[in-house]
Amino acid sequence: MFPAPRPSPDSASPHPLSGEDHVAYLRVVSADAYTDWESVYRDNIDRLYRLMYARVGNRPDAEDLTSEVFRTALGPLNMALSKGEVRAYLLVTARTVLASHWRRRLGLPITSIDPDADASYLVEPSGQEQPSRAPQRAGRILAALPDRYRRILELRFLEACSIKEAALTMDVSVSNAKVLQHRALRMAAEVEVEMES
Amino acid sequence: MTNRRLSAFLDAVAAGRRPRHFEADPEDEAILRTAMTLRAGRPGDANPDEQFVSDLYEKLADQASSQVVPIGRPGKARRGRATLAAVAAGVVLVGGTVVGTEAFTQVTVTPAAVQAPQAKTVRTGTFETSDGRVMGQIVAYQGNPSWVFMNVNGSDYNGPIVCKLQVANGSTVAVGAFELHGGTGEFSRNIQVDIARLRGAKLVTSSGTVVASSTFA
Repeated sequence: MFPAPRPSPDSASPHPLSGEDHVAYLRVVSADAYTDWESVYRDNIDRLYRLMYARVGNRPDAEDLTSEVFRTALGPLNMALSKGEVRAYLLVTARTVLASHWRRRLGLPITSIDPDADASYLVEPSGQEQPSRAPQRAGRILAALPDRYRRILELRFLEACSIKEAALTMDVSVSNAKVLQHRALRMAAEVEVEMES
Repeated sequence: MTNRRLSAFLDAVAAGRRPRHFEADPEDEAILRTAMTLRAGRPGDANPDEQFVSDLYEKLADQASSQVVPIGRPGKARRGRATLAAVAAGVVLVGGTVVGTEAFTQVTVTPAAVQAPQAKTVRTGTFETSDGRVMGQIVAYQGNPSWVFMNVNGSDYNGPIVCKLQVANGSTVAVGAFELHGGTGEFSRNIQVDIARLRGAKLVTSSGTVVASSTFA
């Protein structure tokens, strides 16, 4: 239950519900609004983490960036907003946080967040059971590659093999595996660009 | 050297480790992006660790408990200021959602003990550096009073900075100065300008260097 604040004597614009000295005020809560920061957090932590993970591809960075978004966003958060507005604010904050991350890490905006295009990340059902769309996207890219290119990338990025392990599995030298990986990534990047266009 | 660093970066990505910093070649941008996409597609890795979710919750709870202006219970002397600050934050939030220029009409939740100014028009913009890096946001809000709010994050600049608003007739109005610490800062002020006539904003150092600029949508 929300606290019922008392009016101050110099209050400019109270809306008393009775004429008594000690007046309770009601707060109208929309069904489409969060009630407190905890509800904002619980409803969006999984979604925001998934979005960040999809953009950075590793757990430590995804955790750091997700933390930064919430630490930045929750401070000035006004509960007098709809859920959609709060999520949009989180996305705008996430965009800035991710841009800063890439500027520090590589000096290039490797990936980005578009608050409009990525809005679906924060409106899809939350929870651990919610599947990410990232595997489908990776699968579509890999499916468009020649067998050996697909295999080296599967070994490296989906099965987390070292370059030595991948070379052994494919029965090539480590040097050849590196060259194969580089060429495969180039072609995969072209496929990804075509998918986006 | 660059190839070795690129290989090391890809090794870290493939293994799910935090990659180290290096100055990437723009030619490798697409490769790096695709490596992220593929690694993110590894089944089962996309959901947050429960311990992380729990730990972050605790940290945020500590952060929340240290805040001094609870919404709905402003102190007597600072009541109006706190109210406006809360509303300002709300407008900033909405600003993030409004890419166009119009349509902020009502909020869905209003603490009845606090009269929120009626926002009539909100205009938003994104601060960008000359090379296109996003550096923050600005929101201008038409009401009684009218306000402008901005936040800056990730700037290379530290120190005092002046915000200048550009009006449609070409004139420039300095609305105030604030400080960037660690490349980060926030600023808000009520203004006497017709929001509809604003064209853009610039953040300028004391020596006149433009750190970032924004065009209102």
